[in-house]
Amino acid sequence: MDKPIASETGLAAAFETHRNELLRFIAARWGDGSEAEDLLQDLWLKLRSVAEGPVANPRAYLFRMANNLVLDRRRAQQRAMRRDRSWLEAGGADDTSVDDRPDPAPLADALLEEQQEQEALQAAIADLPPGARRALVLYRFDGHGQAEIAAIMGISRSGVEKHLALAMRHLRDALADCGKSRLAASGEHGDADGQVPQPGMER
Amino acid sequence: MTGAEDTIMAKAAAWHAASESDAMDWDAFTLWLEADPRHRAAYDEVALADLRLQELSPSMERPPVAANDAEPDWSDEPARPMHRWRWAAGALAAALVAVLAVPQFMVGDPQVFVTGAASHTIALNDGSEITIAPNSKLEVSADEERLALSGGAWFDIVHDPDRPLSIAAGDLTIRDIGTRFDVQDTDGRVRIAVDEGKVHVSSPILTAPVQLAAGQALTFDPTGSGVRVANSQGAKAGGWREGRLTYDNTPLSLVAADLSRYAAIEVAVDPRLQDRKFSGTLIVSDGETTLRDLSRLMGLDIAADGDGYRLVPGGG
Repeated sequence: MDKPIASETGLAAAFETHRNELLRFIAARWGDGSEAEDLLQDLWLKLRSVAEGPVANPRAYLFRMANNLVLDRRRAQQRAMRRDRSWLEAGGADDTSVDDRPDPAPLADALLEEQQEQEALQAAIADLPPGARRALVLYRFDGHGQAEIAAIMGISRSGVEKHLALAMRHLRDALADCGKSRLAASGEHGDADGQVPQPGMER
Repeated sequence: MTGAEDTIMAKAAAWHAASESDAMDWDAFTLWLEADPRHRAAYDEVALADLRLQELSPSMERPPVAANDAEPDWSDEPARPMHRWRWAAGALAAALVAVLAVPQFMVGDPQVFVTGAASHTIALNDGSEITIAPNSKLEVSADEERLALSGGAWFDIVHDPDRPLSIAAGDLTIRDIGTRFDVQDTDGRVRIAVDEGKVHVSSPILTAPVQLAAGQALTFDPTGSGVRVANSQGAKAGGWREGRLTYDNTPLSLVAADLSRYAAIEVAVDPRLQDRKFSGTLIVSDGETTLRDLSRLMGLDIAADGDGYRLVPGGG
């Protein structure tokens, strides 16, 4: 069974049709209009390489893909920032630059951070109202889609969305608190320009 | 957090939860993002938190949930006698069901067990049990003293120092066996993880035999790095029986081969990624979800490749 590529599923045509709306969305979502064209180009390349089944709603599909692309880039940006920081803190930056190091072993800090985050997430999930907790566990631990969760829980799709939205807010709060206490615990008070480089603190 | 910020965060979470649906109003979302730069920041925080959960959840304990989604009960399938072999349905993850097993019985000849998409548990005369992984093959000599495996199997062997039981996997021979351990042979690359007791591993191409104790794991690559012994660091041996595949610095090509065996999805690895290693736990749900988890964890992309998929370097 061959998987049709974008040009055969109508996604390429849809991309051309909705190009301007996608560009506008990406600019709004990324926040820096000057990089939007670049991201749109990435979207186009991804479209041609990713395996596709039939797509019921190409426009929604493209927006979702663009949204994920921006999020992936945001995460990469965040990781690079953290890596640079821990590299500098570890007294690195002698003869190899951060970018030259091949796939660095996870630093002890990163492992500790991961463990703290897992604990914070676990605690936040335990504190959720039962419906939101169940929806989230079905979604992110059991891998069910939202429609499946609606069927399993016997509630409407929008009910599932409400549960998940509540759960996501709590996850966000838990990780934000976790980041703050980590910074406080390590006695770190921000980088050179006095900003605590914490995700989402930009205003 | 002020009331206004709280409201923004709630709205951001609502947009994020809705974004999976085809009914998502992307135009309204765009307008909302454009209305205030704080909206974008809030959305990033929520979506990144969710992404972080997706990264970490495979190695987290599944939180208990109330109500009627009790675990399926696998124990009610009766053991079916067949010749002198006892077949029992093991506690299998939902993905590992449906089977074709072809035992060939001929007196004096080895008996050969071949599994299809599901695993199978067999019992030896001494009460030892072996759970053969999906898409694997186990040969058992007529006297039940020599076993040969290609693919995966979980062994729960009754320890008897007087019985010369041996298991061949790739170029390795496992002897002096007690009691519970997992063996994975992937075209000659062999992984052994001991859960309880110890085993003795030898090979013509090893200078000295290796003794593995509980909590230790061995990886053997005849073409590459040779033998490596490591502590399994809390990862449970034979996790595939519960739908978990755990790795510690494992070549991506082996992980991909495991997906073919356990997640029923053909995955090739781009030659540019041949040196990449993976550490972490994958949940075997449906194959494509598991593959997507892997690609996200490693920042890779997935491309179509014949009947299956190919992992390629990430684009963004």
